[in-house]
Amino acid sequence: MPDDPPRLPALAADRRRNTSFRRLTRLGLACCVAVTSAFAIGYFPRAVSHLDDTASTNNALSLADRDVGGGNSVVVHQNAPYEARRLIPTSARYRVVTGGRLRNASPLTGSFVDGWFRSFLIPRRTSAAARWIICYGCDVSLLGAPYTVRWQDDNGISIGDLR
Amino acid sequence: MLALNVWLLAVGTAFLFALRGWRSWGEAARLAGLAYMLGVASTGVVLVWALVVGIPFSVATILGAGLLVAVLALIAAYRLGRRPPPRTRLRLPRLSLFAAVSAALVAVYLEALFRSGRLAALTEFDGWFFWVPKAKAIFYFGDLDNQFFRELPHHGYPPLVPTVEAAAFRFMGSADVVTLHLQFWFLFVGFVAALVGLLAPRVSPLFLWPPLLLVLVTPRVTGYALQAQADFLLEELIAVAALVIGLWLFERRDWQLVAAGVLLAAAMLAKREGSLFGACVLLAAIGATWRQARTAWPRLAIVGVGAAAATAPWWILLHVRHLSAEGPEAGGTGLFSHADLAWPSLRLTVSTLFDYRQWLVVVPVALLAIALAFLAGARRLPGYAALLYVFGAAALTYTTWAFPSIPITKDPINPIIRLTGWLVLVMPAVVPLVLRDAWQAIDAKDET
Repeated sequence: MPDDPPRLPALAADRRRNTSFRRLTRLGLACCVAVTSAFAIGYFPRAVSHLDDTASTNNALSLADRDVGGGNSVVVHQNAPYEARRLIPTSARYRVVTGGRLRNASPLTGSFVDGWFRSFLIPRRTSAAARWIICYGCDVSLLGAPYTVRWQDDNGISIGDLR
Repeated sequence: MLALNVWLLAVGTAFLFALRGWRSWGEAARLAGLAYMLGVASTGVVLVWALVVGIPFSVATILGAGLLVAVLALIAAYRLGRRPPPRTRLRLPRLSLFAAVSAALVAVYLEALFRSGRLAALTEFDGWFFWVPKAKAIFYFGDLDNQFFRELPHHGYPPLVPTVEAAAFRFMGSADVVTLHLQFWFLFVGFVAALVGLLAPRVSPLFLWPPLLLVLVTPRVTGYALQAQADFLLEELIAVAALVIGLWLFERRDWQLVAAGVLLAAAMLAKREGSLFGACVLLAAIGATWRQARTAWPRLAIVGVGAAAATAPWWILLHVRHLSAEGPEAGGTGLFSHADLAWPSLRLTVSTLFDYRQWLVVVPVALLAIALAFLAGARRLPGYAALLYVFGAAALTYTTWAFPSIPITKDPINPIIRLTGWLVLVMPAVVPLVLRDAWQAIDAKDET
């Protein structure tokens, strides 16, 4: 077999190349683990510090701030939801009526105040014909019946019922 | 709430005992995380069924649902001849210094996460807008109240997460939306424990802990893991299912498929995207087993069909109540009439997956590990992981493409950042196995 002798060095070279390739791949895997570890260790203090800050911030909130939560950017003032809970019986139905007479409203108030009260006031149910009204700057003359105000504030928010 | 979670752990422990049994109590302790996730998934699914058929929701119902699962599991265990392991002194596992330090870091992180959630206000928009109100409605009315579930936004979303939240309210004794965040802490701890428990005996600590720690410290996980909405629970369930199926690819234990089926059923009942992501996991497994199609594919198909069937009662209820399932706006052929959105949707998906400010380098590291594993000569696990990422990216693209009314943006109005989390949480579940396979492939070549 005249071709055999020249193939032996070629095989040896192939083997060396393969060994080098495997070493490189192993090095790549080690680098992959090292990079992952470096990022994990590097960011660990930042993550725990962030969690600490969040815990401190939450701890500094008042009970009402926590309870109202996302509603703080919707309801204008925290008194309104608590007065609604106090005044409207749990078995009663209510509706939120919005209008242009509201002061100090946030950009979210008009769109989301109804949905937020629906969540906050459960188990009270909403109804389009409800007697209880949560008026957010509404025009009370358009409510369809005499409106007895049970609570109101300076922002144009009131809670009452229709006779 | 602690009692509820201990109960879920007990139910899951009975379930896992029926599925596989244990050789020792140490092994049972190691798999407690998986047992807890199975307890959440199985009890959650049964509770959703109970709500659908109108069984009043109470503490007794929660205990009864768990008891039903546990009793059925124990009967199955008895029939299968499972025996409790012999009573021996519980020995602490021997940890390397690296593993001990890593475990300590994870414990410190989870403690800090607990403190961050203990007094958290319910500020997340979807949380207060519909997820938690649904839970409150179940808590106060004891059922899927017709008026609330009709009027609240997204009535078509499956109700497993509100059901779990309502169970937490029941055990707390009130609809305390602040303490509710701790229920999500328990779920997150269960997820981490499940990954560690399953992977610790199978992979080197060097391959297990760094990916897990990397995911934990990402800004998104640090900032949002305890949000009282469905995204993280969905992703945790899918990630554990993906891991269990990944193990099945080379161990072929039937219990792994049953466990995956239960986890996927819960994921599909947690959020609409659960079906999509669950399908990605199963399709990736199908792709990775194409050489064993005759034996593997029917089993994987049964897992998928079984998990999907578990969601049927919910879809039937929607139909009975004449409520839409809120499917994609442009699903099916509708995609073709919005073909112009395909490329921007894909670009959004990729840029979100690689978004350093959200996920650091999690996805690049995963792709690098997969590429190196292929170079090393490993095939099945890297193939499975690669398909998970390819199908996952396609599914995420679909979630934007099929909803033309949602702007193509990373702003919160588009849920893409939340949804990409599933391919991030999958990373510490699958990449350790990929790295192990790669290393073993090189070792095998060295020996030949």
